Amino acid sequence: MELTLTPENFLHILQIGSPSLPIGAYCYSEGLEMLVENGTINDSSTLRNWLTSELTYGAIRVDAAIIKRSYECIHIQDLENLQNWNHWLSAFRETEEMRAASWQMGNSFVSLLKNLIPESSDLLRLINSCQYPINYPIAYSLACSHWHIQIHTALLAYLHSWLTNLITSSVKLIPLGQTIGQVLLIELQPVLIQIVSEIDTMKDDDLYCCNWGLSLASMQHETQYSRLFRS
Amino acid sequence: MNQSFQWDRGWQGQLRLVYAKKSDSTYLTHAYHHAPFKIQRSFYPEGKSICHNIILHTAGGMVGGDRLTTDIHLHPHSQVLTTTATANRIYRSNGPLSAHHVHIKMDEGATLEYLPQETIIFNGANYQQTLRVELGTGSTFIGWEIYRFGRTARGEKFIQGEMRSQTELWQDKVPLWIDRQYVPGNEDIFHSAHGLSGCPVVGTLVFVGMPVDSDLVSQARSLITSHPSSGVTRLEQGLLCRFRGHSTSEVKQWFMNVWKILRSNYLSYDIIKTQAIPRVWQL
Repeated sequence: MELTLTPENFLHILQIGSPSLPIGAYCYSEGLEMLVENGTINDSSTLRNWLTSELTYGAIRVDAAIIKRSYECIHIQDLENLQNWNHWLSAFRETEEMRAASWQMGNSFVSLLKNLIPESSDLLRLINSCQYPINYPIAYSLACSHWHIQIHTALLAYLHSWLTNLITSSVKLIPLGQTIGQVLLIELQPVLIQIVSEIDTMKDDDLYCCNWGLSLASMQHETQYSRLFRS
Repeated sequence: MNQSFQWDRGWQGQLRLVYAKKSDSTYLTHAYHHAPFKIQRSFYPEGKSICHNIILHTAGGMVGGDRLTTDIHLHPHSQVLTTTATANRIYRSNGPLSAHHVHIKMDEGATLEYLPQETIIFNGANYQQTLRVELGTGSTFIGWEIYRFGRTARGEKFIQGEMRSQTELWQDKVPLWIDRQYVPGNEDIFHSAHGLSGCPVVGTLVFVGMPVDSDLVSQARSLITSHPSSGVTRLEQGLLCRFRGHSTSEVKQWFMNVWKILRSNYLSYDIIKTQAIPRVWQL
């Protein structure tokens, strides 16, 4: 896999792939808060196993595959299927918290985009055709497509940003040292690259996941007594 | 030898059921079954409005190459409960897929309770299941699926083969619930906390057709008997329960209790009578 980037591409992806983009990603732990409380995750090794499993078999892999599909729909102006994939993602969200997170981040991202790219009738037409609420992966693909960011770059940045967020949450929750978190981020780089290359050849019939642990943790988080995070 | 068995491909079984409501009674108006499927005579343990049917799989299980299709059509306002006579078994395969495709069409105001018994996936099995339900206006669907991975009583683990299960519920061309579960047989998945966590039994109960209030979610949670193994959440138009544990009777008991409260709160059925619980479940 080779990435080609213009200076503008590079700066755009640094901005929209940043974990500190103000769309609220830091509010969500995706079940980790529950898993730390019940002792399933308690050090960097259990955290690494969890994140590796989620990337290899989980819903985040399907999200990334949908970004690719939505990006391609925008490219060929297939607005009907763009909307279908947005609906598909809403129905695919396993829990109320995960659905709410995807919608909140998607809708915030779209509001931000309207300010970053003012007076773009093309963008507005695409946003409207998705129908409200917009899932975060769909909103992300709108931005990447608008700024002509190549799909591999877009997917690597997306997964990296997701991973950074969850490691940051875990550093607070477990707790772990900041350096341990950064080491983990480096160690998981080959997994990110592997997943992006798998997504290249994934067919619609291969959109499966195996994340019983995530599903249960997210459901149980909904009634967790003391919470810092919204998922 | 029945025509639907082919030595090179296995069973090509078919089941087609059509239900209709006439003057407050639901009838099975059309039934076609091709071996290994068989359907028992309809029965009405709770009055004529709700038709109960038990589906039999006469071969007792599926081998690689078997391909079964089930089509169910509910005409407006019909009320149907289907289950299966026994647990289904998916035997070890040396490669070929065993597949069961189910397509259900529900017309306006119809209600279906689709509650098959568990499926036991032998180590080395290669199984795919698809369930697609199209809901009409005002129709409601409750269904569950329960899997046991490996014949655990013999100490068998599911570390070879693959299971794929795809459930899709649609209404007016919009998906209400999409569940794409696969379990590749390997030690990683079997033991990881993110996957099966060493638990051979998983189950999903889904109710779709109308929004549920948070009170019902709390009730379903209060019926949980094993908290680490179980979870409940709300769907946009319904409710979802997941279970990952060791006991099929535990998950069946919990799902049955949730089914009872869904029935009395949302299906406007009478409080469930003992005779409405299919005897074949034998909990």
